[in-house]
Amino acid sequence: MAYSEVVKNFNKIRQYMRSFYVYGFRSRSEYTEKSSRSYDDERRRIESWLGDYMQFRQAPDGRIAFISIDSRRAAHNPMYKAWKAKSFTDGDITLHFLLFDILSTLGKIFSIKEIMNSLDGYLAQFKEPRVFDVSTVRKKLNEYAAEGLVNVEKRGRTAYYSRADDVPVPCVDVLNYFSEVMPCGVIGSFILDGQSGQVRQEDREDREESGQHFAFKHHYITGTLDSQVLYELFSAIRERRGVALETVNRDSDRTSETRVIPLRIMISVQSGRQYLMAYVPAHQKITPFRADNILSVSHGEICENYDELQCTFEGMRPHLWGVSTRSRSNQRMERVEFTIRYADDEQYIRERLEREKRCGTVEHIDENTSRFTADVFDAWEMIPWIRTFICRITDIHFSDSRLEEQFWQDIREMYALYGLEGGN
Amino acid sequence: MFFSELYSAYYVTVANVLREAVTRPVSQEDIRIIVEKYAFGESILSIPTALKEERWPLLRPDGTAVLKHQPSMPLTTMEKRWLKSVACDPRIKLFGEIDLGPDFDGVEPLFLPEDVIVFDRFTDGDDYTDETYIANFRLILDAIRKKYLLDIESLSGRGRMIKQTVLPRCLEYSEKDDKFRLRGACGRFGSTLNLGRIVSCRASEEKTGAFSGKDRAVRSRTVTFQLVDERKALERVLLHFAHFEKSAEKLDDKHYSVTIHYDKEDETELVIRILSFGPLIRVTTPQHFVDLIKQRLADQRSIDQIDHKSCGQ
Repeated sequence: MAYSEVVKNFNKIRQYMRSFYVYGFRSRSEYTEKSSRSYDDERRRIESWLGDYMQFRQAPDGRIAFISIDSRRAAHNPMYKAWKAKSFTDGDITLHFLLFDILSTLGKIFSIKEIMNSLDGYLAQFKEPRVFDVSTVRKKLNEYAAEGLVNVEKRGRTAYYSRADDVPVPCVDVLNYFSEVMPCGVIGSFILDGQSGQVRQEDREDREESGQHFAFKHHYITGTLDSQVLYELFSAIRERRGVALETVNRDSDRTSETRVIPLRIMISVQSGRQYLMAYVPAHQKITPFRADNILSVSHGEICENYDELQCTFEGMRPHLWGVSTRSRSNQRMERVEFTIRYADDEQYIRERLEREKRCGTVEHIDENTSRFTADVFDAWEMIPWIRTFICRITDIHFSDSRLEEQFWQDIREMYALYGLEGGN
Repeated sequence: MFFSELYSAYYVTVANVLREAVTRPVSQEDIRIIVEKYAFGESILSIPTALKEERWPLLRPDGTAVLKHQPSMPLTTMEKRWLKSVACDPRIKLFGEIDLGPDFDGVEPLFLPEDVIVFDRFTDGDDYTDETYIANFRLILDAIRKKYLLDIESLSGRGRMIKQTVLPRCLEYSEKDDKFRLRGACGRFGSTLNLGRIVSCRASEEKTGAFSGKDRAVRSRTVTFQLVDERKALERVLLHFAHFEKSAEKLDDKHYSVTIHYDKEDETELVIRILSFGPLIRVTTPQHFVDLIKQRLADQRSIDQIDHKSCGQ
């Protein structure tokens, strides 16, 4: 098939974009185990969508393509463009504009016969008029009805179609801000694109400039690649419905299906990762699933004991540091305690401990000493955060002795890495 | 459907071509300009041809549209559901209550605030229910839009009152801190103010034209570190630092070199973020950054030696 910059299936492009953005060191040969043509096409597409954000570097084993974005300087998430690259047929786009033009006659409803007659009128203006059959047009109208774009009203045995009403939308500043900070923010970007007549013309023209009213720090933009997955999960959560998840194990590249009851979406603003917390009936456990490992979501039955499962999860939250619900030490709960010391002019450290403690508790022993304590399912998750207090830790204790040994072993390795005495 | 042509850049582009062509004939040059503005890098190879060759029979040969109305599409149910979720977000108060009207009455929000847990956000974020904060936010946003000066009194980190006249440029939001900061031109070096520390804010009588305040210059720095891919460090590190402009290079099967571009004002934050990865990453350049890490480790070692901790003693 000839190359096109638009695509039918998002999952393939999802994987390439993540790789180009997160793992910007892979050469062409590392992508081309399956098909070199596929790599070339996807790289070319992404370059077409992202322009200068796509960069290249020459390495000994070939040319390396990568995406480099300082998200603090980009007013809009550049990755949203991938969601705007769906392929379509000549018939799709023609019908789209002609049908809406027909249905835009104020206050009028149309039978399929009237619509077909009108369509013929438009198309007869061309030298070689295209002909649509009635089933194609009816199918398109029904698709639009399912999307909420068209109303269908039955009168007797005849269906009548009308354009859905326009509704007011918030100002461009609201859309600009929330499209960057809310889950599934790309939907806000769709609205901003102004296909919808509701975005005021002056706002539309001003969009580029108004996009600069906000900037975003610590802004992880890869999450958007999982938007469709989140959309399906949110819909299931609202309907209290079970789902079948098709997931991939990135190490083995194997896919599997798991039936779960989705409970919450958990998001990290310090890594950009998004997780589904779900009850797995087969294991009778609540387990996290990384959204970027979920390939597809199929809706199942409504869950009768949904409230009960939500309550169980709420009961677990005071012991969740991150998303892990299981310890590696086989203890039900793990305890972590550490003490830090800071100078008189370093009271911000005390404040830092307070604002970052999550489910832990902080005890201020004196003006220069604080102690942190937490009982969590998985203390390993806390290690990176505890390391941020290196230079102040006077005492630390883990209920899992292996973890304590690993912690100090790591510290000794760090001393050695930087040539300090006391290292390994 | 989420991934749908309804939201495609091609449809948006053609809508913009037709919007013009409903009122006047559009030339190939007009179409080229619109395609370059709204579509992708290579769309110029497909959209104008498809219109000209009448594969998409929407434009007559004279460049006028066959449509009788300006093209427009109502909001889809998915878009309405997302907007309903926006209306439920506590931060919406900053912009004023949004009235979505009766058309949204039967629309279920895509999600509610309680469906999403941000588990590592700092807990001393801004108070979006505070009336003074809301008033300041709205005034600042208005001043950004209309480009007028503000007289601002705020508390410094050390509790000192500071008075400034600022030409606001943008509001910067950090999802991690859950705080807004105002970035603007002011004095010789520009100004960055936490909105939560603003005590008073009002439109200045000074005119923008005569204002000589400078914008803050980004003091760009780089740091390079080597990482060893154990305990899934490669993925964790690259995801963690994904929001920076960066480049990564594979050195061998287990070792990688990563260079990150950052702003000098964020250096301390970057030091502790690098420390959080323990011995799996080692800063190699610049030397002053290596020294910052070394100093922290040396301080920790001093504590260990006093308390006899780290050497298994």
